[in-house]
Amino acid sequence: MKVTGRCHCGQISFEAEIDPGHVALWHCVDCQRLTGTAFATFVVARREDFRLVIGTPKLYVKVGDSGNGSAQAFCENCGSRLWASAAVAEPGSYRLRVGTLDQRAELLPARQYWFRSALPWTSDLPCGERVERQ
Amino acid sequence: MKVTGRCHCGQISFEAEIDPTQVRVCHCTDCQHLTGTAFRTNVASLPGSFVLKSGTPKIYIKTAESGNQRAHAFCPDCGTPLYAAAPGPNPTSVGLRVGTLDRRAELRPARQGWCRSALPWSMDLTDVARFERQLQ
Repeated sequence: MKVTGRCHCGQISFEAEIDPGHVALWHCVDCQRLTGTAFATFVVARREDFRLVIGTPKLYVKVGDSGNGSAQAFCENCGSRLWASAAVAEPGSYRLRVGTLDQRAELLPARQYWFRSALPWTSDLPCGERVERQ
Repeated sequence: MKVTGRCHCGQISFEAEIDPTQVRVCHCTDCQHLTGTAFRTNVASLPGSFVLKSGTPKIYIKTAESGNQRAHAFCPDCGTPLYAAAPGPNPTSVGLRVGTLDRRAELRPARQGWCRSALPWSMDLTDVARFERQLQ
């Protein structure tokens, strides 16, 4: 499936081919901190299927418990989180952040990783009042 | 309730008083883009209680559909979204990003805004396969 993505200010855009069966939520504490919310949502694109169309993201290298470095790409102007990859010159794949993709409503997660640190309320969100606008 | 927060790289830290019953999820498309995930989770600092302890965030001014402007603060080094406020110096209150707070596990949302643009799956994750760690 072809997807197109961009940051909020539009300075960075990209496109990729992805397998919509490989959408996953990440509940690790690093993802909570780096998104400022409950979990990250990723879908994987192979390097040959990913193309940066415009802009240059800023990279932040995060070192996980395993010791492996992960490069976190974001827009330095608006701060939108874009993708993550291995912190090497030519990563084999990119984990695209689903919220930046125009097709995000069609991308249902199949797996939840790092569930041991999931915020307890995330599984059943209809908690309290819902409002259609703000 | 007192909360402390920081960005991932630790350059920026802050503290504030909040009302833990006022945690909100926001499903608007701006929040989806800026977080790269399904929704944001926010809680407002009580008036006059927000203190930036270290660092200088980068500010991005976002203009909403309504014309309202919000100053979005994030760490220029690691990109962690931190808070949003009315533009201008010394805002009375800021909307803190709950994922950056050390006590986030205690902060259950009571309200959800902009449900009309919610990603349909985000309301019920009970059937999504769970793994304690990550699969390789």
